[in-house]
Amino acid sequence: MESAAPADEFIPAGLASLGIEADEVDLAVIAAVHRFFWPAILELLALDTSEVEPERCPDLSKAPQ
Amino acid sequence: MSAALDLSLRDQAAAVAAGELGPAELLEAALARIEARNPALNAVVETFPERSREMAAAAPEGPLRGVPIVIKDEWPLPWRAQRFGAAELTAPTAPGESGPYRALRDAGATIVGVGNMHELGAGSTGAVSYYGPCRNPWDTDRCPGGSSSGPAASVAARLVAGAVGADGVGSVRFPAAYCGLTGLKPTFGRSAMEGHHMAPVTTTIVSGPLCADAADCRLLGSVLCGEELAAGDAAKLRIGVVRDAVFEDATPAVRDSCEEAIEALRGETGGEVVEVWLPDLDAAALAAILTINGESLGGTTPEQLNRLHPEISPVARGTLKYRMLLPAAATVQASRVRTMMRRRLAALFEQVDVLAWPTVPAPAPPLEAPVVELPSGTLPADQANVRGAGLANLTGIPAISVPVGLSAERLPVALQLQAAWGRDELLLDAAEALERANGRRWVESWPPLAEAGAAL
Repeated sequence: MESAAPADEFIPAGLASLGIEADEVDLAVIAAVHRFFWPAILELLALDTSEVEPERCPDLSKAPQ
Repeated sequence: MSAALDLSLRDQAAAVAAGELGPAELLEAALARIEARNPALNAVVETFPERSREMAAAAPEGPLRGVPIVIKDEWPLPWRAQRFGAAELTAPTAPGESGPYRALRDAGATIVGVGNMHELGAGSTGAVSYYGPCRNPWDTDRCPGGSSSGPAASVAARLVAGAVGADGVGSVRFPAAYCGLTGLKPTFGRSAMEGHHMAPVTTTIVSGPLCADAADCRLLGSVLCGEELAAGDAAKLRIGVVRDAVFEDATPAVRDSCEEAIEALRGETGGEVVEVWLPDLDAAALAAILTINGESLGGTTPEQLNRLHPEISPVARGTLKYRMLLPAAATVQASRVRTMMRRRLAALFEQVDVLAWPTVPAPAPPLEAPVVELPSGTLPADQANVRGAGLANLTGIPAISVPVGLSAERLPVALQLQAAWGRDELLLDAAEALERANGRRWVESWPPLAEAGAAL
């Protein structure tokens, strides 16, 4: 599992690339949220969904076709 | 007159229909009770007595004629734009006739106030809001649940007998669970959503009723859905139980109460309990968050984030900015997980009628420290709660939270039932069966703030 440490580098750089300003408080919150979310996102990305045929415009009110 | 507010929603409606109560009397009683009880709760963030009196005076014949209702700060009213519990929204808002407003008005209901909510809908506790935290009537130092915190606390404290919430990732079911209410998340697309600032893009959010019991939820839910959610009997109910963290990683009080309730429901319906396999629930929960994240940020620009209102909380400010950094690949994967889980559920609902697991893994945590102690360790309540809630929003299926006990601290404990698309009625039937099985013990348990002898 990848450590959240690289966040110290890529979060400020990522925000700057989007033109989003962030002060120290913002960065502290973002780091905390990242520690929570990022491992779960990596697990999600590692999930094998290669067999899943995507639903086109799914109708969420009904069972899948 | 205040005793009329202690009647159920259906009994209030029946009393008005029979001429035993007048809409104006009921409204004035609700306003007086809000004035008396709300300061301890911060559940209702705005009343508009003259507008409400106009609604009561003009109330048409309908299933809710003259009945006071609280609506979450998530929809516009003709005289008020929604704030979404925040100092500002990045989406444009304006006063207007929203779908829930029209549904309530046409049913004859009186909107008596706007309910507090977790800031930007982004929390399961109700601890953070532009209006200040909402408090749980069972213990005002505890979280009421979110994001429909004010609607739930309003009903639990009997300010009103019914309230309208919204559920994007559990936001009706969490506060129903923490406040000891019944809360229905209808099938996606079934209940009124027009006027919500995300209505054109959302694939997860629905409006839903919060009431003391299932019969009241059926009445208010029928109004929101624009069709009768007809009663059945839930006979021979096949109850699916997933022996996963979503059930096992809960406090002993929650686990035991839910096990007891499932067995009672099986007995009452002459049904059966079936252990089923439904992997990747954590992925489903995260996929639900990523989906709603993508939909909510679709029109947000860096310029807007650089000009956020100074009263937006630091957590919301940082989280909004972080969400812009999430990789698109994760959103694509969330979409695949959605498809995968929808197909798994479609197959599963051939074997069982409902899935059952705790709505939340622990009773309401303190407002000052919204964390929960679980067998796996100490977790932020948001992180623990989303595990069992995201599936219904991701896939579109209906879900209901039903009170099934009180913890040693006398805080409500709740069971969640989920069913196949369009089977909202079955969930209400099952909830009513559960009420019969336990002698309506839990739906008739009132918090101290609302018990006989309480103020007004």
